[in-house]
Order: sequence, then C-alpha cells, then structure tokens
Amino acid sequence: MSNSPTNAASAEVTTIDTTARGPLLLLVGAALVWLVISGILALIASIQLHSPHFLADCSWLTHGRTQALRETAFIYGWAANAGLAVALWVLGRLGGNPLRALNWVVVGGVFWNLGLAGGMAGIAGGYMTSFSFFQLPAGIQPLMLLAYAAIALSGILAWGGRRTDGTYAAQWFAAAGLFVFPWLFSSAQLVLLWAPVRGTAQAVAAGWFAQGAWTLWLAPLALAGAYYIVPKSAGRVVPGYEFAPLSFWTLVFLGAWTGGRHLIGGPVPAWVPTMAVAAGSMLIFHYAVTLANLRIASAGTGTAVRYIRFGVWAYFMVGVVELIACFRGPALSVQFTFLATALEQLGLYGALSMMFFGAIYYMVPRLTGNPWSSAALASGHRIGVILGVSLLVLSLAAAGWIQGQALLDPQVSFAQIAERIRTPLLGATAAQLLLLAANLILLVNFCKTACACAKSASQPALFRQPASLEASA
Amino acid sequence: MKNGPVFFFGLLAAAGISWGGLVLGSHGQLSSLPPYYDEIQSQNFPARMNGLAARGQYVYSDLGCAACHTQQVRRPGYGSDKERGWGERQSVARDYIYQPRPQLGASRLGPDLATYGARAEKNPEAAAQLHALLYAGSATHPAYPFLYNEEPLVGQVSNKALKLSSGGRPGMQIVPTERAQTLAAYLLTLNHSFDFPEAKPLPAPAAKKQEPSKK
Repeated sequence: MSNSPTNAASAEVTTIDTTARGPLLLLVGAALVWLVISGILALIASIQLHSPHFLADCSWLTHGRTQALRETAFIYGWAANAGLAVALWVLGRLGGNPLRALNWVVVGGVFWNLGLAGGMAGIAGGYMTSFSFFQLPAGIQPLMLLAYAAIALSGILAWGGRRTDGTYAAQWFAAAGLFVFPWLFSSAQLVLLWAPVRGTAQAVAAGWFAQGAWTLWLAPLALAGAYYIVPKSAGRVVPGYEFAPLSFWTLVFLGAWTGGRHLIGGPVPAWVPTMAVAAGSMLIFHYAVTLANLRIASAGTGTAVRYIRFGVWAYFMVGVVELIACFRGPALSVQFTFLATALEQLGLYGALSMMFFGAIYYMVPRLTGNPWSSAALASGHRIGVILGVSLLVLSLAAAGWIQGQALLDPQVSFAQIAERIRTPLLGATAAQLLLLAANLILLVNFCKTACACAKSASQPALFRQPASLEASA
Repeated sequence: MKNGPVFFFGLLAAAGISWGGLVLGSHGQLSSLPPYYDEIQSQNFPARMNGLAARGQYVYSDLGCAACHTQQVRRPGYGSDKERGWGERQSVARDYIYQPRPQLGASRLGPDLATYGARAEKNPEAAAQLHALLYAGSATHPAYPFLYNEEPLVGQVSNKALKLSSGGRPGMQIVPTERAQTLAAYLLTLNHSFDFPEAKPLPAPAAKKQEPSKK
C-alpha cells in the first residue's frame, strides 16, 4: 500500500476548478498580500512594545493605530479573503457543479479589497471605531458588507444547486461561514455605529461581535477546508463523523454567547461573563469532536495536511485554554496581560492561519493545474511559520505570565514591569520577523505559480492518490 | 442536513438568539440606566463631561490609547486595583452612561485611567507633567510630538507653553495643539464622581448561629 504519485492530474482538475480559477486565485493572492502587510504592521507594533519611541513621530503609526491596522489587515484582509476562497472552492467541489455568479465574486472581491485599503487609510488617519475586531471606519463598513454579500452569493448558490441531496461537514461549515457573517456584521454596525447602545452595553455588543466573528465566521471557514482536505489526504473516512452534526450546531448556537469573556469583573452585569463560562464549557464538546474527527490528519501525506494537523491541535488547545481563562480565578492573572494576546495569536495564527495555509497549498495546484513553483520555498515557508508561531505564542505567554504576576503586586511599578517583560517581547519581535519572512516566501511562491499558470506551463501537476481511497468528491 | 431553508433558518436563529440574549439583554438592563440623584448634594451623578473633555475622548479614541490603558477599575479584593490607587470602588455601568463611546480597554501595559483626574487633582503640576509626558514620552510611554507645535517665541511666553526640563531651542516654545488640550482636559476629568449604591460591596452573610427553625 504505497502512496506513489500517480498521473491523476486530469482526475483532480475538473471544470469546477478551471472555471473558478481566476476569481479564486484573485482572492488567494489578495489574502497573501494582506498577510504580508499585516506582518509588517505586526513587526512595527511588536517593536513599539519594547521600544516605545519607534516611529513615534508619525501619527499614522502611533502604537494604538498600528495595532488597529495590524488586526484589521489580518482579519479582513488575510483571513477573510483566504476563508472566502476556501469556502467557495469547497462548496463548488462538493456541490459537483461549476460555481455560478463568479462575476459577482470578482466584483465583490475587488470592492472588498479596495474598501479595506480605504479603511486602513482611514484608521491611519484617525477614524477607527476603537472596537476590537471592528476597527474599520464607520463609513466604509456598509460597502464591505455589500462586497461580502456579492462574494458569498456564489457559495450559497453552490449549496442550493448541489447534485446530491446529502451534504458533507465541510459544506455545512463553509455555508455557515458565508451566510452568518453579513448578519453578524450588520447587527454589530447597527448597535455600535448607527444607533449606538448606551455606555457599557457597547462593550457587550462589541464582545458579541468579536467572539461571533471568531466562532461563527472565521473558524467555520477554516474547518471547511480542514474537513474537506483531511479525509482526502489520509484516504480514510472521518472517525466519529456521526458526532459532527451535533458539534457543528453546538458551535453555531453557543459560539457567540462567549462574547463576555473579556469583561470579567468589568462594569457589566455579572451574567454576561458568566454566560461566557457556561457557553465555553459546553463548547468543549465541539472542540473535542473536531479533534477526534480530524486527528487522522497525522496519517495524511503531503504539504497541506501538515499545516492542518498543526492547526487542528492548536484549535483544540485554544478552546480548552480559553475556557480556563474565562473562570474568575485564572482570569485574575490572564486578564489585561499578554497571556490574552498569546491566546488570541494561538487562535488566529496557530489554528486559523495554519488551516488556511493547508487549504491554500492543497487548492492552488488543483486550480491552476500546475504544481507549486518551488518545493524549497514551500518547505521554507512551512518551517518558518511553524517556528514563528510557536516562538510568538511562547514569548507572549512568558511576557504575559510575568506581567500578570507583577500586576497583582501593588509594589511593582509599570516601569519595573516593562523592564521584566522586555526580553520575552524581544522574542516576540523576532518571531514576527520570522513570520514576515516566511509569508513573503509564500507570496513569492504563489506569484510564480500563478504566473506560470498564466503562461500555461507544460508541466502538469502530479497529485498523490492514497491507494485506499474509497470515494472521492 | 438536506433541507436548505431549515439549515439557513437554523443559522439565522443561532446568530439571532445570541444577539437577542447578549446584546438586547444587556441593552435592556443598561441603556435606560438613569443618573443617580443625590439629595445631599442636590445633583445628578455622573455629570456630563464639559465640551473640551468630550472632544478629548474622541482624541483618546482615535489615537488608540485603549490599546495599552484600561478605564475599568475592578472591585477591591479582585486584583490590586485599589492598592495601586486606581479607585476606592469598582467601576459600574452608571459611570459610563454619558460617554458616547466608553474606552474600557483590554490591556494594561500602562496604568488604569478611570480615576486619573482624581489622582491629578492632588497634584498641582499634573497638567504640566501630562503634557510633558505626551510630548516627549518616557522609557515606557510613547511620545506624541505631532500633538504639539513648535512656535517662535514673540514677546511673552504663551501660558500654554510646555516647561520642558531639557529646555527647548532658543527663541522657540512648544505649544499644545487643540487636540492635545482637549485630550488633557478629558484625562483630567476622569473620575468616579460618586459612590453609587450598586458599587457598595454586599454585606457579608450573617453567621448562621441559630438552629433552623423553619422547615
């Protein structure tokens, strides 16, 4: 039973892929560009943490704005574009028909990215909303909403126009990620921007949006790719698949209820953070089932599934640690420190981005019909990202732990805290540099691959076919 | 999951139920919170911010100060907030009802600012020190020189000019822009203005010494 590469190029690349090639490569390319931009901003922000005078003269890059810019570029640039591309591709493939409304995808993609660029300029100019995960200037947000709806339309049509009656887990997650976000986004805009609720109710609504964006939008988009690729790479049926529907609905119904997890002890009614604990406890079921389902990623071969393996384990860890951090005892040490940042980066980078990387590495050769232009660059990216993410999360966790213990001691001044956490923060800066370099490598590799496709390279891609594949979609 | 409409309705219901519960629930509890009328002082608390301070909150918001500073004091006994002098009581929702966009913050690289104005009142040099910090920064605080203008010294020194320890260039003075003035005005008004009843700690439960008499 060897996994010898077969010349199954024609079987792996269908009209679904060739018709969707342009729009999806546009989205993936935009995603990678925004990832690099976000990386540069993250590097600047990280330097400013231990050397506050870095670029302080420039009002556009004052630390508060740099953090908002970094976060916005990462979420609305990298994660959104990558997630949309993955979700549309998965829905197309599992639906069995070429994607429709692809012109809308292109128009939506162009306006989404143009709007985002305008929004980033707005944040740099001082028009950010000051809500976490929601920093885009108020004026640009309706445009983003319409652009997103234009892109998501294709996916919803692919769900409706599918050939088989039944649907796979990858399709549920993809459809959820595409369908829920406009409601999430518009409701948040309503209660935070257009008819703002009063006082700290805004903090609750902002928390609802931020947690909703993670659990109802980004995580489903990533899991869609994972649930599609892992069984195909491993050549096995997903174990425990009968629990997947319940896991999906648990995530969807409970995800946004964790919105109060950053408001422990804050000026909000006590039931708000308590609901976060309760929902987080029940969500462990979802994380456990996801790990149980996708653990066969360790049996998979190929580049893509190695990323997804890392991502799935990180996703499970995030679920568990987030729950622990919600309880009032641990929250005392975690709240307001870099531990919370480390956890966020573990989720956004360690789980989400790694799953998106895996999906991109799997998807692009099948879209273009050509292999990745350079295996060396692909390995370089993989090593760089895995090392970078690990170093980043560990450095931030170390800084956060020291900071948390010091904050609890009223005798320790902030100058002393800054001195103590300087070294871990330098480690975090080194990690950001490594991640930026690795992502640049990926961008270069992608450009070469896409350009080779445009020039119709003669070398067809060789796809690994696991010998024991029972069914393929 | 075959039935499309039911599936999408389920997704909508999921998003809607959490929105209804968290957002509308807290909105119902908090959005009609009235100010507290104190009869002894014959005044409502909290008072609205004066115009300069209200504009200053927008400057605070657009500079992203909330990235490193919180404005929420935790209750005594939960963390070291009281011991650090950040407030005698915890912040409650009523403190924020007249703020158009409360800047609660989520990270403490710097001290909590919810009662910065109260601490500054005890220090006659507070405004000058604040401007010096914002202009030049410190080892742990970034500088915001773009909030200040360097102007030629003609005649008398402006009463708004910064008195810097390093001394400025001869013939020049550093004057805060309008944004810096409003930001300083905002920070110097930040305070817990009143001890609201809901902010008082609950009385400890009485020791249960009597035997249970009721069944």
